[in-house]
Amino acid sequence: MKKLKSICSIAALVTILLMAVSCEKKLDGLKLATYPTTADVFIDGFSTGLYYAAYGTSKVTAFNVDYSVKYSGTCSMKFEVPDAGDPNGSYAGGVFGANPARDLSGYNVLTFWAKASQPATIVLVGFGNDMGTSKYQVSLANLQVNSNWVEYYIPIPDPSLLTQENGMFYYAAAPQNGRGYTFWIDELKFEKLGTIAHANFGIFNGHDSIVDNVETGEEFQISDFYDTFNLPTGVDQKSNLSASYFTFTSSNPSVATVNDLGLVRVADTGSAVITAKVAGTGAKGSLTISVTGLKIAPTQPAPVPTIAGNKVISLFSNAYTNVKVDSWNTHWQFSTAENQNIQINGDDVIRYKKLNFVGIEFSSQPVDASAMATFHIDLWTPDTTANKTFKVKLIDFGPDGVYGGGDDSNSEISIGSPPLSTQNWISLNIPLSSFSGLSSKSHLAQLVLSGDLPDVYIDNVYFFNDGSTSPEPTTAAPVPTFNAANVLSVFSDSYTNVAGTNLNPNWGQTTVFSQVPIAGNNTLKYKGLNYQGIQLGSSQNVSAMSFLHLDYWSASSFSLNVFLISTGPVEKSYVLPVPTSGWAGVDIPLSSFSPVNLADVIQFKFVGNGDVYIDNIFFHK
Amino acid sequence: MEKNSKIFVSAAICSLLFITLFGCKKESGQKIEQRNWQLVWSDEFNGSAGMSPDSTKWKFDIGNGGWGNEELETYTKDTSNASTDGNGNLAITAKANWVTDHWENITSARIKTIGLFEQSYGRFEARIKTPWGPGMWPAFWLLGSNVNSVAWPQCGEIDIMELRGQKPNIINGTVHGPGYSGGAGITKSFAFENTRFDVDFHLFAVEWGKDYIDFFVDNTLYEEITPGNVTGNWVFDHPFYIILNVAVGGNYVGYPTSQTTFPQKMLVDYVKVYKQAD
Repeated sequence: MKKLKSICSIAALVTILLMAVSCEKKLDGLKLATYPTTADVFIDGFSTGLYYAAYGTSKVTAFNVDYSVKYSGTCSMKFEVPDAGDPNGSYAGGVFGANPARDLSGYNVLTFWAKASQPATIVLVGFGNDMGTSKYQVSLANLQVNSNWVEYYIPIPDPSLLTQENGMFYYAAAPQNGRGYTFWIDELKFEKLGTIAHANFGIFNGHDSIVDNVETGEEFQISDFYDTFNLPTGVDQKSNLSASYFTFTSSNPSVATVNDLGLVRVADTGSAVITAKVAGTGAKGSLTISVTGLKIAPTQPAPVPTIAGNKVISLFSNAYTNVKVDSWNTHWQFSTAENQNIQINGDDVIRYKKLNFVGIEFSSQPVDASAMATFHIDLWTPDTTANKTFKVKLIDFGPDGVYGGGDDSNSEISIGSPPLSTQNWISLNIPLSSFSGLSSKSHLAQLVLSGDLPDVYIDNVYFFNDGSTSPEPTTAAPVPTFNAANVLSVFSDSYTNVAGTNLNPNWGQTTVFSQVPIAGNNTLKYKGLNYQGIQLGSSQNVSAMSFLHLDYWSASSFSLNVFLISTGPVEKSYVLPVPTSGWAGVDIPLSSFSPVNLADVIQFKFVGNGDVYIDNIFFHK
Repeated sequence: MEKNSKIFVSAAICSLLFITLFGCKKESGQKIEQRNWQLVWSDEFNGSAGMSPDSTKWKFDIGNGGWGNEELETYTKDTSNASTDGNGNLAITAKANWVTDHWENITSARIKTIGLFEQSYGRFEARIKTPWGPGMWPAFWLLGSNVNSVAWPQCGEIDIMELRGQKPNIINGTVHGPGYSGGAGITKSFAFENTRFDVDFHLFAVEWGKDYIDFFVDNTLYEEITPGNVTGNWVFDHPFYIILNVAVGGNYVGYPTSQTTFPQKMLVDYVKVYKQAD
């Protein structure tokens, strides 16, 4: 009966409108539809056109009309939240919709009274959910209810938008500590209250987000939309909103555009600030992006490998048949790396972005590199490389061929600058002997790339053994020219050396030590260096000297440090740039070794990797 | 508003009773016959932004200690707490910092005309937009100038406007005197049904004669107090001075919560005082 009456009144309204606007003649085109302005949702029963739909996964029988418990009138809405694990659904939730839709633009708040069988937190309540696009959704999270009737308010952020709204009310409620409870809602209606005041709006929860180094083509979604209103109780209340209440603006549309739903598309180099408004009021929070343009990528492919395929085990290269690699990005915990397969002039390259470390796995078919001599990787980075490192770690799963089991081993090589270089392909050939911590190379299963270059492109990742012995110097170190009277020598054919010196003390190193004649000149050879000491025959007072001289040669080392040591021990290191191009000679000021006691020098130590040749170790004035 | 913590403990309870019994007479005032007022003192607060209130008209109360009501704020004379806003208003600003789970460093301002302007009888009015939120207690009030010789409540107190921030649509007008002070003050509330005192300016006034004090909101009379209404001696027969302040927390209003927002401002468009022409 009530429904009929309402339909009649709509018909009457439409008739009146038609009469008012149209003449006797035919209508010129379509008229805007109008919708009922019914304010009541549930007072004492369902209002006109109201329907209920429970969520499919919820306990669909949770809602009922209760004629015994009510705030006023004859009945209320009762919601029986089930226990956790209820076979019929372990939460209560659903949508109260209106058909036809309603024009709510004359109201500014949804109000209701609620109480519960026990103090409880209702997961969410709100309106604007029409089980479709739910364009204009508003919800309160974690509504606190207790066993007293309390009035609640959900303000409408911009009533002018709600001229055709289906979503009158929706809710979701979960058990409290695993147990169900009951809550009631009554007098659910839209109102226009002058006691709702002080609207504020925000995006990103009110934060100003700043993103640098954005590349053309990237997209960002604005999120965490909210409002706060001051309620008649003087308290500020925050609601979560859908994007459609907001209008978005880009300060620089040629750099970035933003659509109606807050999706930001980056178009060009420059910077742009994305802000938002609701009903003309500025929202707190913003997104500032600085666009570096198209990604900085190599324009040329990596050098094509020249080693014959039968001398190679390749993980990634267009030049070879590759073995099976399970993953080029395992996304291990704490890894921020993103990977991308790209092509440069038809050559496949892997790009890593936001690289802190990345796990690369080939454990389903471990690699037997026992017959291989060298690990190769080509590397290109747009990042500055000064004082930066790139690290390569190999992991062997041991004879059992699987992770763990007590037989795994791993070893990491750290590469500095040089050879690291900005926007140049560099080819790293790392002797497997340098991975001194690997107890086996026959079940290699993982590769980890890390360091502090966030952007790298890699190519031609393979192991090889082309039969060449590892390179060694073909000429002797230059003959020193210092006057012997101004020299205190440790190791040199040109001077008298400190007597009784042990050139290979056993300090537990894995370095293979030898003395080799290079063009007839005695030279120290450290093969597969991890570290190597020199024990002087007696304590030396070099405080009258000014420099330590060294000649060194290495084609395969990526890290080399020399330490001077006095009794204590007190030691200090000095970095020797590697690899070298031919013999490198250094004269290190002794002041570099402070606080080592120069009146009491007893030892040297070399720490690093690769195969290293050293000659002419002496102090001079 | 004046010191008397013991009395104010019961004041809160009594005030609640008042609201229950008499309060919320919604816009139920009436007009009275226009009296013939002559302006004698005013401050329009037309200073530029950030100027301290005119020192020829206002002095500051400085300090903390609760002011007899367990209030939380420290009153300062800093322009961040009291200054003209450049738009023709005085702003009294209550500020605070949220630390973990409570508000700290709460500062505000309380200004008064004692020794600069005092008057018995007349019309005292101010156009004000209030702050809001739990624990906020703005006030426009008069205190007997002999407060330092005869003490409170003998000196008398006329609260033209007091508001509790958690009831932003209700103000109270109250008198305190001997035998009717603190929670026993003679009071009545005025409530808006569908707006609030913090969204627009409203005019608060008393018209005070030898045997009456009439309370107005926007020129609507909502309360008349006469010697017959008070439960003690009528002490409203000597000069009073004006006070404007925003208190935070205390017995009258309760304490600010996580749902209170700071800073909060009481904006005063003007204060005017009239004498009745003969």
